Amino acid sequence: MKQSKRSIQPISCEEALSRVFDFIDDHLRGKARIELEHHLETCRHCFDRVEFERLLKSRLRKLNVNVHSQKVRKRVETLLDQF
Amino acid sequence: MNILSRKEKEELRQVLMPLVDDLHRVALSFCHDENAAEELVAATVGKACESYRSLKDRSRIKPWLLRILSNMFISQQRTKARHPHVEYDEIENDKQNQFSLFEQISQPFLLWWGNPEREIMNKFLDEDIQKAIESLPAEFRIAVVLSDVEGMRYQEIANILQIPLGTVRSRLARGRSLLQKKLWHHAQDLGIILRKAHRHETIQTQHSTH
Repeated sequence: MKQSKRSIQPISCEEALSRVFDFIDDHLRGKARIELEHHLETCRHCFDRVEFERLLKSRLRKLNVNVHSQKVRKRVETLLDQF
Repeated sequence: MNILSRKEKEELRQVLMPLVDDLHRVALSFCHDENAAEELVAATVGKACESYRSLKDRSRIKPWLLRILSNMFISQQRTKARHPHVEYDEIENDKQNQFSLFEQISQPFLLWWGNPEREIMNKFLDEDIQKAIESLPAEFRIAVVLSDVEGMRYQEIANILQIPLGTVRSRLARGRSLLQKKLWHHAQDLGIILRKAHRHETIQTQHSTH
C-alpha cells in the first residue's frame, strides 16, 4: 500500500546519509526507503551525494571486464591432470 | 597430494572449467597484475583439487572457489606483510569509516551553474580508480571488489567469505571510505582538486566576484 506523503516521518540529513549505501546497493526496504526517498525529494545536498555515490559505484562496475585467457585455461587443465 | 579418482577429476573439470574466466577476472581485480592473477588462480585450483572431497554441496562450487581464491589472496598479502591483519572490533567505532569524497569537494554555492563533483569524477581514469582499489588492505579490497566491481549482493558476499552480514557491511563501509580518501589525495596530487588552503582562497575570491 502506498504511504501518503503526509504520514511520512521527516528524517535528518545525518539519518539520510547513514542510509545512502544501503540505498544505492538496493538493500533498503519499506519505511526506511520511503523516508529516504522523501528526504531526497526535498534535500538537494543529500540528493547530490546519492548521485555522486552512484556515479562512483558505476565507475567501479565498469572495471569489470571480460577475460578470456587461453594461458590460464591451459594452466588449469595441466593442474587438473596432475591430481 | 590428495589424488582424485578419474570420476572425481572429470566431475571437477566439468564444473571448474566454465568458471575459470570468472576466477581469473576476480583475481585480476584483486591483484591488477596478470602474472599475480594467474598464480592466484593456479593456487586456488590446486587447493580446490586437494579439498574437493570435503565439498558437501557440489552445486555451491562457485562460492566455494571464490572463498578459496579470497583466502589465498589474504594469505599472500599477509605473507608480504604490507597489509597486516585488521582488528574488526576497532573498525566498528572508527569514525574514519565515514570519509566522503563528495563532502570534500562539494561546493553548494555553485549549485546553479556547475557540478564540480561530477566533473572531478569524470577526470579520474579507470587506472586511478584501479590503483585506489589496490591500495586497500586485502579484506576491504575483497569486499569492495565483490560488491562494486562484481556487483554481488551482501548476502552472496557473506556466503562466499562465511562472515556475518554486519561484517560485510563494515568491511564495505571501511573499504569505500579508504578508497575515497585515496582518490581525494590522488586528485590533490594531480591538481584536479585544490589543496585546502588554496581552495579556501579560491572560494573567497569566487564569493566576492558573484
